[in-house]
Amino acid sequence: MDVGQMQRQWLDYTRSLFIEGFLDNQFLQLQQLQDENNPEFVVEVVSLFFDDSERLLKDLNFALDQQGVDFKKVDAHVHQLKGSSSSIGAQRVKNACIAFRNFCEEQNVEACLRCLQQVKQEYCLVKNKLETLFRLEQQIVAAGGSIPMMELGF
Amino acid sequence: MAEDRYETCSEGSACSQMGSNNKCKHVFDRLCGFAPSWNWNTTTTTTLPPPPSGRRIFHRDVEKEAFQYASSSHCLSSYYSVFVVRLAIMVMLAILIGLLTILTWHFTKIYTTKSLKTLAYDLRYELLQRPILRMWNILNSTAEITTAQVKLSQYVIRRYSNPVNQAEQVELYEAMRAITWALFSSKKALNSITINYKNGFVQAFHRDLKDNNTSYIYSDLSNYSMVANEMNSFSAHQAWNDKAIHGNKSAIWYREPLDPVTGDKIGKAMKIAPEDLINIAGLSQVPDGVASWHVAVSKFTDSPLLSAALPVWDSSNKSIMAVVGVTTALYSVGQLMKELVEMHSGHMYLTSQEGYLLATSTNAPLLTNSTKHPTLKMAVDCENEVIKLGAEWLQRAYGNHSPPSHEVHVENAKLGHQQYYIDSFFLNLKRLPLVGVIIIPRKYIMGQVDERAFKTLVILISASLCILVIGCVCILILTNGVSKEMKLRAALISQLEARRKAEASSNYKSQFLANMSHELRTPMAAVIGLLDILISDDCLTNEQYSTVTQIRKCSTALLRLLNNILDLSKVESGKLVLEDAEFDLGRELEGLVDMFSVQCINHNVETVLDLSDEMPKVVRGDSARVVQIFTNLINNSIKFTPSGHIILRGWCEYPNSCNGSPIFPLEQKKSRCIQKAREKQNANNEKRTTKRDNKVILWFEVDDTGCGIDPSKWDSVFESFEQADPSTTRLHGGTGLGLCIVRNLVNKMGGDIKVVKKEGQGTLMRLCLVLSTPTDVTEQHYALDFTDNSLVVLLALHGNMSRLITSKWLQKNGVCTIEASEWNGLTQVLRELFHARSPVHNNNNFDAHYPVTEGLKSKLLSIQDMKKPVFVIVVDIGLLDLSTDIWKEQLNFLHRYFGRARFVWMLNHDTSNNIKMEIRRKGNVLMVNKPLYKAKMVHILEAVIKERNLELQKRNNMIGPRTTTKEGELHEFLEIDSTHFDAGSSDDSDTSETVGSNPVSVDGDKQIELVARSPASSTYKINNCLVGLTNEHLEDTNNARKEESCQSSPSSSKHAIEESDPKSLSTKEPSQGGDSECGETHRAAGPNNNVVNGKNSLEGLRILLAEDTPVLQRVATIMLEKMGASVVAVGDGQQAVDALHCKLGVDDCRRDSLQKERNMRSQTEILTSPYDLILMDCQMPKMDGYEATKAIRKSEVGTGLHIPIVALTAHAMSCDEAKCLEVGMDAYLTKPIDFKQMVSTILSLTKRKTS
Repeated sequence: MDVGQMQRQWLDYTRSLFIEGFLDNQFLQLQQLQDENNPEFVVEVVSLFFDDSERLLKDLNFALDQQGVDFKKVDAHVHQLKGSSSSIGAQRVKNACIAFRNFCEEQNVEACLRCLQQVKQEYCLVKNKLETLFRLEQQIVAAGGSIPMMELGF
Repeated sequence: MAEDRYETCSEGSACSQMGSNNKCKHVFDRLCGFAPSWNWNTTTTTTLPPPPSGRRIFHRDVEKEAFQYASSSHCLSSYYSVFVVRLAIMVMLAILIGLLTILTWHFTKIYTTKSLKTLAYDLRYELLQRPILRMWNILNSTAEITTAQVKLSQYVIRRYSNPVNQAEQVELYEAMRAITWALFSSKKALNSITINYKNGFVQAFHRDLKDNNTSYIYSDLSNYSMVANEMNSFSAHQAWNDKAIHGNKSAIWYREPLDPVTGDKIGKAMKIAPEDLINIAGLSQVPDGVASWHVAVSKFTDSPLLSAALPVWDSSNKSIMAVVGVTTALYSVGQLMKELVEMHSGHMYLTSQEGYLLATSTNAPLLTNSTKHPTLKMAVDCENEVIKLGAEWLQRAYGNHSPPSHEVHVENAKLGHQQYYIDSFFLNLKRLPLVGVIIIPRKYIMGQVDERAFKTLVILISASLCILVIGCVCILILTNGVSKEMKLRAALISQLEARRKAEASSNYKSQFLANMSHELRTPMAAVIGLLDILISDDCLTNEQYSTVTQIRKCSTALLRLLNNILDLSKVESGKLVLEDAEFDLGRELEGLVDMFSVQCINHNVETVLDLSDEMPKVVRGDSARVVQIFTNLINNSIKFTPSGHIILRGWCEYPNSCNGSPIFPLEQKKSRCIQKAREKQNANNEKRTTKRDNKVILWFEVDDTGCGIDPSKWDSVFESFEQADPSTTRLHGGTGLGLCIVRNLVNKMGGDIKVVKKEGQGTLMRLCLVLSTPTDVTEQHYALDFTDNSLVVLLALHGNMSRLITSKWLQKNGVCTIEASEWNGLTQVLRELFHARSPVHNNNNFDAHYPVTEGLKSKLLSIQDMKKPVFVIVVDIGLLDLSTDIWKEQLNFLHRYFGRARFVWMLNHDTSNNIKMEIRRKGNVLMVNKPLYKAKMVHILEAVIKERNLELQKRNNMIGPRTTTKEGELHEFLEIDSTHFDAGSSDDSDTSETVGSNPVSVDGDKQIELVARSPASSTYKINNCLVGLTNEHLEDTNNARKEESCQSSPSSSKHAIEESDPKSLSTKEPSQGGDSECGETHRAAGPNNNVVNGKNSLEGLRILLAEDTPVLQRVATIMLEKMGASVVAVGDGQQAVDALHCKLGVDDCRRDSLQKERNMRSQTEILTSPYDLILMDCQMPKMDGYEATKAIRKSEVGTGLHIPIVALTAHAMSCDEAKCLEVGMDAYLTKPIDFKQMVSTILSLTKRKTS
């Protein structure tokens, strides 16, 4: 595949991610932060996010499975998840987390479980999307091209 | 009341229906008890939650219904309760009145009856007493007469005790007759007196009471011999007796009528049968020789007679000579009774003990006319009905056993159909006991009383009924009023409730809006960002480009609108927390006017700032909000003002002017100034201390000459989404939120805003703000006095208003002013001024051509009197004719006066470069941008004075070479540029900020002050358009700055920085950023200019990052490191505190050794604290950000250190901000971290510290 074509594809894909709301400008900021000193910064942070999120989701699963649900704990977990997802710009995960927290405040176990599923789903989605994106990037790099910059100045 | 009930029913019809429905259902339930589940569903819809499907809506409906039901049932119950209360009150009233009536009546009646009874008893007693007394009298008199007769007879008979012959016998009888007559005639009541002699001779006087005939009756004397004389013995006496009776039958009796008065014979004696007329008492009646009483009945009278008999004894008292009998008719007693009864009604009778009637008050016969003998009747046989019944009643009641005293008092004996009183008395006479009975109809005594009692009762009852009715009506009216009031109150309460709900919902609305617009901003930012991407794309056609640009503009407008709504709802929901920081009010407003004047020049509108001199320079408050207020107001004015002027006036008022602005001794002031630097470090502490600032009321007016506002809308324009004229929306746009925000903000600041009546066209808005002035700030008024400088200012300005105001102000401060509004005026004044002064050129023609006004003339005269006046000519570039090339000629003309006056040029923002160059070439170096206001004027005048002083000095010293350098300095200094004032008020003015710091090739020693006052002084001739040029200068700046800082002693440089404009933060960035980066800085341009400018701006800063989320930790670290900062990241608050402490400990030992290396940049930071700044996440495990901050601040107490702590929070609510600041944090950032914001925050904090 032509490098230029791949770059265009990458750009389109990234845009689609933005338009569909998977990512927000925070992700762009991350990309801007990536430079020669930290060439793998985005991938690093995102994989950190994956690890962290998986841990948190596991914790959440565990916390909500128990008989007397400790909503404070659940809330703290969700808060963390929300923080990390918003830091990488995984917007839909973040929004799901916000809804989750609201139900946490209501102490509604049923809704919380529903939200957890939603969060998981969103997480999986964004994970897939990001992994695809990174694969594309790798392909571009492998083909000898450079990742095009997306400049956004808000 | 019925009406009320009706109302209740009609109003509560819904409920009654409901009730009936329920009832029906209830009945239905009973009927179909076998279908419980169905019933359960239907009957319990109002109380039980409906099935989950469509839960929300249904539930709400049910709620509504329930609410209605509740309210109506409540209504009904209240009606019932009112009704019951009324009823109860009425019943109580009725009972009360009834009781009162009955008691009154009862007591009255009892009392009356009792007294009447006593009286009646007395009466009865009296009535009965009298006949009885009469009876007694009769008995007494009868007894007396009898006794007297007996005594007299005894005497006479003794004298003729032994009659020897017939003659003597006759003589005796004659004597007896005379005596008897005497006695008989003396007692009229006597019926008869009889004397029955032993020998059988009978003498008797008889009176017929009916016809009052008196007669003398005697037996034939010849029949009686002396035979009787032999019979002396008792037995003989017996024989005599028998003989007498039998003899009498055979004897012949004569009756001789007599004159009742004299006793003379009036008729012939008639022969009658013995004992035909009267009863003669014989021996049989005195069987034992003592007196006897008995009631006799005579054939001839129909009334019973009372007869007494006494024997007449002979002298030896051995034998009875004769028997005297006296009878009295009881007729008179009956008569008396009749009379009494006639007066008192009723009946009376006397009976003997055996019950025989002796006398009655009636005419009923007392005797039975039997064939043989008349006999006495029993009372029960009396013909009179009442007496008979009474007697029968008595007999029935007491039988034959009459009470011992024989006295009976019965009050209501029913005889026949009437009630009677029956009383009986007993008169116990020897041999003749009597019983008197009186029967009086009750009606006679009590009749009237009963009748009266009845009438009284009727009256009382009717009266009480009336009172009851009236009382009920009163109660009805009263309770009606009360219930009406209660109803009103209930309505009021429900209204209040509704209002509260409405307010709450409005609050929700505000909150919702706040949250919504917050959420909306994110997608808007994305839209704008994407548009930026699109715009930077090269492959767009021109058309597409313009469309996208348009979209970009619209999005920006939309974002602004969102921000407005957010502001508004923030204020309304009370979440807006006003900042409390010192700021230079004058400068803010000047910047504002500068900004708007650019806008206005196109509109041909003049923007004038007119602040009074006593306005405090520095006030405490929220500068951004204050600026926002005026921005909105002026924006509004510009929108509606097509031509004319907009004046922003300001003055102030000290509410506590008596103790306000305490005057410190001068030295103290100075020391305070020095202390300020230190105090700034402890901004937090300062905040607390300055809480007791002097409050000052600042008044502002925004005066425009626009279309004005209709007075009826003066109040409503401040409502949200309200515009004075809706049609203007199309023309001018706008949402109507601006003024609403203004009013909310003004109110929040403790002020008020209103539209004030204005003379002439336009609108005048007046507002006041209550702000505080810091006490420790010295009075920084423009306490200027130019009087002794003998300045003359010629104002050649286009705008009338600004010229007028400036001129007034100058005159007030002792500067002589001359005004000119157009070119011709200017030339004329110039000629007047200078040609008059130099007599060589004095040419009267000018006077002829341009006749000067009187005012100008006098002014000129006064100027001529001045000693060495300094002329300052302020020329508006607009006065020149720029459209053609004439302006060059005009410049040349003015240049002629160059040596004699200082020219100050007022430039428009769009004045073309070659004009400026031309002006500069002519040697005019004083150029200011429009508009002209006080601060600029002060700068100009100060510059002029300084220059003159220097000139004087130069002249005195006569040192040649220095002149040029001075010129150069002045050249640099005097081009006052004011664009840097914009910095605080507009967000996008960063570019101009960077431009602000420009090279000053100065002799460091002398010019520090100048730098200090105007760090922004520059060769800035062109506005924003020439970035490249600016950047070149920037390079110079950096170099120059570096040199300067190296050369100058640390203290002086510090001083310089300290005094410099705190707003122009970025000026210091390059000076900190090293030389190597400068080139890069300048090369970068375009939309990201700002960010890139800040690249490496954090160089050398050491930042401690406390963040538990690894992702965020990583991101923030990279961000900061990219900016050149060194970052130490820790996972929680506890670690942060520990990290800080261990470093501190190390620092303490190193401090001494490092003291000398102060100037080395790499080491300086360690001197004060291990980190320059801490970024603290608020929510962390183990120890959260708040706790950690508290711990850090606690450990800092006493060390004088203050590490800036920036909070990282995920909630973007102002309450979080408040909490952050409360625990001692200095600023806060919201997640996700915004790059720019973070950098600027960090810079502002570290800057403050290093200064």
